[in-house]
Amino acid sequence: MNGLATFSLWAQKNRWVWSAIGVLVLWLVLSVVTNRFSLNSLSGIMLSASFLTVVGIGQMFVVTTGRGNIDLSVASVITLSAFVALLTIKGQDANLAIGVGAAILLGLAVGALNSLLVVGLNIPAIIATLATGYVLATATLLSNRAISGFAVSPLLKTLATGRVSGVPVMAVIAIVGVAATAFVLRYTVFGQLLSAVGQNRAAARLAAIRNNRVIASAFIISSVLASLNGLLLGAYIGGAFLEMGQPYLLQSIAAVVLGGTLIFGGSASAVGTLFASILLILIVTTMQIVGLPPGAQDIVQGIVVIFVLALAGRQVLSRRAAVDRAGDDGTLKPEQNAVAIRPE
Amino acid sequence: MSHLAAADPEDAAATMPAARSDVVSLSKITKSFGPTLANAAIDLAVSAGEIIGLVGGNGAGKSTLMRILCGATSPTLGSISFAGQDVSFVDYDTAEAQRRGIRMVHQELSLCANLSVAENFFLETPGEAANRPGWRALYRARARAALDAVFPANGIDVNAEVGHLSIAERQMVEISRAAATPGVKLIVLDEPTSSLDLDRSRQLRAFIRERARSGLAFIFISHKLQEIIDIATQVMVLRNGRTAWRGDVATTSIGQLVQLMGGDANSIHQHSAAAVSRGEALVRLSGFLTAGLGHDIAIGRGEIIGLAGLEGSGQKELLHTIFEPDTARGAAVTRSGDAGFIAGDRQKEGVFPLWSVLGNISIGSLARRPALGLVSERANREAAADAAGRLRLDDKRFGSNILELSGGNQQKALVARALVADTPILLLDDPTRGVDIATKQDFYRLCNDIARGGRTLIWHTTEDAELLACDRVLVFSGGRIVKELSGEAITESAVVGASFAQQADTRAGSGKSATGAGLARGLVNAAPFIGLAAVLAVMISANPAVASIFGIDLLLMPALSLVLVTAAQMFIVGGSEIDLGVGAFAGLVSVLSATLLYDQPWLGALTLAAAVAAYAGLGGLIQARKIPAIVVTLGASFIWMGLGYALQPTPGGASPEWLSAMFNWSLGFLPTSIILIAAVALVVLVIDRLPLGVVLRGFGNNPTAMVRSGWSPTRYALVRYLVAGLFAAAAGLSLTAINTASDINSGSSFTLLSVAAVVMGGCSLLGGVISPVGAIAGAVTLSLIGALLGTLNVSSDFNAATQGLVLIALLTLRSLTADRRSEQ
Repeated sequence: MNGLATFSLWAQKNRWVWSAIGVLVLWLVLSVVTNRFSLNSLSGIMLSASFLTVVGIGQMFVVTTGRGNIDLSVASVITLSAFVALLTIKGQDANLAIGVGAAILLGLAVGALNSLLVVGLNIPAIIATLATGYVLATATLLSNRAISGFAVSPLLKTLATGRVSGVPVMAVIAIVGVAATAFVLRYTVFGQLLSAVGQNRAAARLAAIRNNRVIASAFIISSVLASLNGLLLGAYIGGAFLEMGQPYLLQSIAAVVLGGTLIFGGSASAVGTLFASILLILIVTTMQIVGLPPGAQDIVQGIVVIFVLALAGRQVLSRRAAVDRAGDDGTLKPEQNAVAIRPE
Repeated sequence: MSHLAAADPEDAAATMPAARSDVVSLSKITKSFGPTLANAAIDLAVSAGEIIGLVGGNGAGKSTLMRILCGATSPTLGSISFAGQDVSFVDYDTAEAQRRGIRMVHQELSLCANLSVAENFFLETPGEAANRPGWRALYRARARAALDAVFPANGIDVNAEVGHLSIAERQMVEISRAAATPGVKLIVLDEPTSSLDLDRSRQLRAFIRERARSGLAFIFISHKLQEIIDIATQVMVLRNGRTAWRGDVATTSIGQLVQLMGGDANSIHQHSAAAVSRGEALVRLSGFLTAGLGHDIAIGRGEIIGLAGLEGSGQKELLHTIFEPDTARGAAVTRSGDAGFIAGDRQKEGVFPLWSVLGNISIGSLARRPALGLVSERANREAAADAAGRLRLDDKRFGSNILELSGGNQQKALVARALVADTPILLLDDPTRGVDIATKQDFYRLCNDIARGGRTLIWHTTEDAELLACDRVLVFSGGRIVKELSGEAITESAVVGASFAQQADTRAGSGKSATGAGLARGLVNAAPFIGLAAVLAVMISANPAVASIFGIDLLLMPALSLVLVTAAQMFIVGGSEIDLGVGAFAGLVSVLSATLLYDQPWLGALTLAAAVAAYAGLGGLIQARKIPAIVVTLGASFIWMGLGYALQPTPGGASPEWLSAMFNWSLGFLPTSIILIAAVALVVLVIDRLPLGVVLRGFGNNPTAMVRSGWSPTRYALVRYLVAGLFAAAAGLSLTAINTASDINSGSSFTLLSVAAVVMGGCSLLGGVISPVGAIAGAVTLSLIGALLGTLNVSSDFNAATQGLVLIALLTLRSLTADRRSEQ
């Protein structure tokens, strides 16, 4: 009993553990039920999840800046970047550097545009990034007309689909990226500033933090990661098609929320985003194995997001209740609908 | 305190002409917030006709006690009874308190700024507004009468938007509103005179006396003890959450009350002026700020400067301008040397609630380091320990979450944050608010130390006594400095005198510069109409046949669906949320109506009703769980799409005959599409003008005030989403009827377009504004963009980009012409 209490206290601070448990349980269940699951099939899931993780990490930075900030342009960036990669690399390893450069430039440009709209002009992030996404959609349509073929550079293909002693290269990239992100969040000034801005923007400003720079860098990180992901995803599927980035919109947000990053900002978990990505891909794979139609898959994903948010909303409620209690200036009655988590 | 026992009850009764009967009685009220006791076994009985003056220092427990009395908070222990009858705290909330005749006028006002004075009266007593025309007139008359009863010759227009009134006028509205409530038995006034001038304050006190004679009870909370002595029949003193004294006003005096509250004449150390060296000026104030003084103000090293005046007279603004000299006001304020800020509103501007005490302290130095530098916990701890030691803040608490600390210790952590940042200038924004007396003493001592160490303190305070610790005091009125006091000249009466003196003439000058921005805003507001006219003009000039009834119908009929979705989105945006699933929902309804409704009308109708109910339920969920609407509705959009896709994998189906007939008729002389679009606008207008519309707008502007007036946020979130869901469902039906088939993707593009149309129409994304005509003109314009591009021979590939750019351009224009004041 005491061990359980210790664990629940620890889990409150390490929210990523829930998605890790989810992965473990679902994988065990699938292994037992289908007899087809093995470490090998897990590495396949890991490969798909790696692409989601890359976008999810970017999305996590934006969500952590708080105020309901979300980057809705990631889907369009992924698609456009895949097309730009086809246009610039043309299947030649020699052009790879140009392609990567173009992808990074695209990410920087979109991120800068989003930052300008959100930070400079005070347009709510959802609207700004939605509008940016629409502009990019036209750019995608135009590049779709311009491409000549679907050849992929061999080196890029190896990065996106290759394996080193059974482990997907892409998974290694994702895991190294997650580790680096976790380090940045925990041990650098930037990570602390990001958390501060997300928790309380007014307090951050008065603590001499340059909020605008921090928020802008989050949007730029998100766009650059989405763009690089589009490059790799294009190589993985061997080309590009319109709407190829679409599933990553909801899934990236789901991965962030499921991974224990607070949707209200201020607290991020890179490891959680990794596990949540794997969990989401596992869920989709399960639905495919069971044979649910694509419509049902959408429904299940939507329900998972709303359900997790409704549960997470509870934590935030009790956190707000704590603020009200300490501040003695609240006006609602938070005690009534909050499950108080009393810190001892 | 036993020697100060309550006054003889018979004595008290003699001063009370009305018959004594308890209106409400609180007994043994105890309220704990974690380790701190805000209220400890407090008894408070209020009789009819009684005026209780409630006094106590900040943090003495007054506001907690009043929130318990008004049902805003439940106590940990204790009971409440009305006229001798016990009521359980489980069922006792703000609405119940109001039913039982308790009204409170809050210090931070609870009016909806986007509604008129009369509408705000309606929110407080909605009983008589049956949804019939003319209900506004009733409340207009009532507002007029109530205002004149309390404040004769007030000159407040009851049709004016509250946002356009001055703070004093708002306070008058709020007081009159509470006093005019039918069936009210007890009114709690929390600092009612804080922004009223002397005449209004006298009027209010005369009114209170008169109403008390007819049996109404009052609780009067004020820091101005003369007022308490003047108006109250009974006085209750709270100190550290306990009743320090209760008795007849005749048996006490100001001096005694101060002593009871824990005040101490010598509590504030006088700053030793010798330490001041006015060599170099770190901060210089000039321009309009000091226009009234006739000379600039230079603030040098080692000085403590106090900023005084009525609340909201520009003290806070000056602190913020010194902290971040912006270009517009840059000429008036110059600063050399880094500045640190210590906020008194700890929850809003101070603490980082997820972090430990240590994290909250060390961010002060981190913010001034390069972004990619590494953070060392040990270095942080050492730096923080030094600052904490000077503040007598126990470093054993470094690991605790900041919110577990008392208000005083939280404030110490914030001061420590400023100390580790080590800046030559410190800006203090009412730092001792809600802080216990011992911490205040530590704080004053520290301020002296810091100033003697050669740093400059600029200190805004609402406690006039604290000004005595300053070397100089700048008194503010109407956004300017009207008086500079120094040394012996600093007295409370000098400050108060200067604060009120020049109020009248400073207020007059503020209305001028608004006209230029107002013109720009007017242009932006006209944008949807100008855009619509331009688009139609281009299309008619390219193809004159467009101008026929048939041509207009061909062009505008498809716009009808977007118009309906826009109406739905407008109600959601009116509640300061955005629905990213509304287009998908319209698509789902279209699929349902072309499949189930066509094949099995009853089952179809039932499913449609269930879909709308689910949509409304989502709104309830968002409110009840306080989760972001954007993500929930984005998730929901996948559910709607998935459902539609599962029902109908490829476009098809058929429109029921009756449904087609609804959209397929003609009057001959007017295009049907225009009639239908106008009808939608009319329905939205009518809903908005109904009491329901007023309540929804109220929630969009100030949910806190709505809850205080006894409205249920979850119920109205449900209603809001229900209204939106009905419009979105109508949009889905119109899609089926117009296309005579359905496609789950047919509504998807409407989501962004509806947001764009709502923004074009002039609705604020912050909520509280419904403007159907503009939004619908915007929707029609946007839906014509595709046809316009076709007319201009531009590829339809550019459709999305054009719509996205139109939205960005509009929001940019709005952001550039926005009213700066409204941002706060």
